[in-house]
Amino acid sequence: MNPKRRQLLVELLRIVTVVLVALGLGFIITWLVSEDPVNAFRALLTGPLPQISWTDGFAIKGMNRFGNWLEDSITLILVGLAVAVVFRARQFSLGAEGQIFLGALAAGIVSMHLPAPLAVHIGLALIAAAAAGFIWGLIPGVLKAYLSVDEIVSTLMLNFIAVQLYQLVLIQWLRDPKEGFIATAPFPVSAVLPLVIPGTRVSIAIFIALIAVFAVWFLIERTGLGYEIRIVGANRKFAEYGGVNTKRVIALSMAVSGALAGLAGLHLSNGLLKRLTLNLSPGIGFEGIVVALLARNDPKGVLLAGLFYGYLRTGAQIMERSSDVTREVVLIIQAIMILLITAERLFPAYQAWQQKRKAALAVPNALPGEGAAN
Amino acid sequence: MSIEVVLRSIFTVAFIATIIRISTPLILPALGGLISELAGAANIALEGIMLSAAFIGVIISAFSPLWFPDLPVWIHPWVGALAGILAGMLMAWIIAFFHLELGTDIFLAGLGVNILAQGGTVFLMFAITGDKGSTSALASPALPNIVIPLVNNVRILGQLFNAENMTGYNVMTFAAVLLTGVVWVFLYRTPLGAHLRAVGENPEAAASVGINVKRIRYIALLMSGFCAALGGLNLSMGYVTFFQTNMTAGRGFIALAVIYLGARHPIGTVIAALIFGAATALGAQLGTLNIPSQLIEMIPPVATIAALVIYNLRRRARLIANVRKFQEKSALA
Repeated sequence: MNPKRRQLLVELLRIVTVVLVALGLGFIITWLVSEDPVNAFRALLTGPLPQISWTDGFAIKGMNRFGNWLEDSITLILVGLAVAVVFRARQFSLGAEGQIFLGALAAGIVSMHLPAPLAVHIGLALIAAAAAGFIWGLIPGVLKAYLSVDEIVSTLMLNFIAVQLYQLVLIQWLRDPKEGFIATAPFPVSAVLPLVIPGTRVSIAIFIALIAVFAVWFLIERTGLGYEIRIVGANRKFAEYGGVNTKRVIALSMAVSGALAGLAGLHLSNGLLKRLTLNLSPGIGFEGIVVALLARNDPKGVLLAGLFYGYLRTGAQIMERSSDVTREVVLIIQAIMILLITAERLFPAYQAWQQKRKAALAVPNALPGEGAAN
Repeated sequence: MSIEVVLRSIFTVAFIATIIRISTPLILPALGGLISELAGAANIALEGIMLSAAFIGVIISAFSPLWFPDLPVWIHPWVGALAGILAGMLMAWIIAFFHLELGTDIFLAGLGVNILAQGGTVFLMFAITGDKGSTSALASPALPNIVIPLVNNVRILGQLFNAENMTGYNVMTFAAVLLTGVVWVFLYRTPLGAHLRAVGENPEAAASVGINVKRIRYIALLMSGFCAALGGLNLSMGYVTFFQTNMTAGRGFIALAVIYLGARHPIGTVIAALIFGAATALGAQLGTLNIPSQLIEMIPPVATIAALVIYNLRRRARLIANVRKFQEKSALA
């Protein structure tokens, strides 16, 4: 097996181990507080699957749970991609939350106030959402790149501002006074993302997410900007000496990330809610981080990690409804996964293997082929 | 006319008292964050640490009378506070352990701890009280207010030093004042503080002169946990006497901004926290006017970003000036 594939395999093994350990600890915690921990955990782990029943003829039950899983995964994949792009450039932008809100807001304004024919309307809403996210990502990107303003603080502050801006515009201008709660009127049909799986809310956003996965993979692996993002992420000084315009790369990586988060906002507003409400989906912007980490910032991995974490989140909601354990247990599992997966020195075996490899490479008289065999 | 002047001065004094109260749970975590920041181990989990301490403080102080019925009543809130401080320091230790021993990136470790605190507090609260919103079903005590003697004889002074009702500020406000001094002395007047700053400035250089970088960062992170825990206790055992889901409401993150706003210096940090407190207090006052509250809520974060931009512009200008001076000198030589 060639070393690259072997390394990939070890990485995969590592991630699977981390996930299993985190789930195991999650079960222990559940067991400590629950009257019926086995049932609670079963709901967590099997809840999102549709149940095929044969009792009175063939029927599939629980499609809405299955739908919830996919709906949530779409958001998580898009936010995960957003985080993966900035992490690739080694920037710690935490701004996805604000970008989601403004993406949804821009899409909402286009949906409500820009009459357009069917396919065009959705396209315009999509462009508006991505553009709003792009701009909201570009701001901290430019501040970091050209003025070295700490991106963690600036993106957190921009999140506060974005949420307030969203609420301000919604309450002052967009809200429909006829509604009993603070929300716009339902979007016109031409602006709602068409449904793909009946009986759920899974819309063409699922294709947007898949295209985004491919687009980000292409951007990172096959374009000049992607190459520069990777070099800047590996070593900014080196990139600078190599003639890369690191400032431009940093600013752009954060803006592209914002555009992806903006699309997640579009999915929430024009796919799931079909209107703007006061509380879009608070906190979802931070969930992209665990997705990106599980995926080792690899776009293809984000697809799998998004589906996995979406499954866990949906399962947790079902567990909360059907047992005495709150869904917050999934946050604890998430935290354990983040801590374990980023603990580089945690697996001594892994480390020993790496050292052995290094040693094999360092000894010039090693038998030919031995380095590869290790 | 004279009545108006008096009214206005009372209003101002009461206003100052409000600012002090709002700023206390910003000053405490910000001082903690400053210590770890200066040691080169930025702690972004101040929010999570505050949350954990606030929660554990309430739970333990509520159960303390059941566990230790023989203790005098006044001691129970302190038992809770001690437990809260330990909980906060435990959270900080988790960051330190993962970062220093296992090579986790410090930002990601901090992020993990924030999420752990967010989920863990709600999870435990539901397990203990059966309520996901707050612990108001539990009877938990408050940490005492401290009334400064004598000043109440002069109304204005009393309202200034003992809050508008002259019932005193919470003990955590005094802790904040005390800690400001202690942190300043520690950082700038003790050998350990000098080592700490050296580690933050250049860890390799510090290590080369025999400073144990890892040990210093452990200490710095645990100190940040201690300070942030006090801030959390101020909320759940001072402001109110219960724990509420996500009751820190971003204060830990604002504390991070406050550190940079205060140019990474204890006095600057406290001033920045007071400015933030003033902006929030002003917002509450302006709320009675016909201005959308969202606009007012935007002022502090916008001000923070503006201040960060100005700070970095000035730093850059200073750097350029220094380089120019150096070049002129070497040209003369």
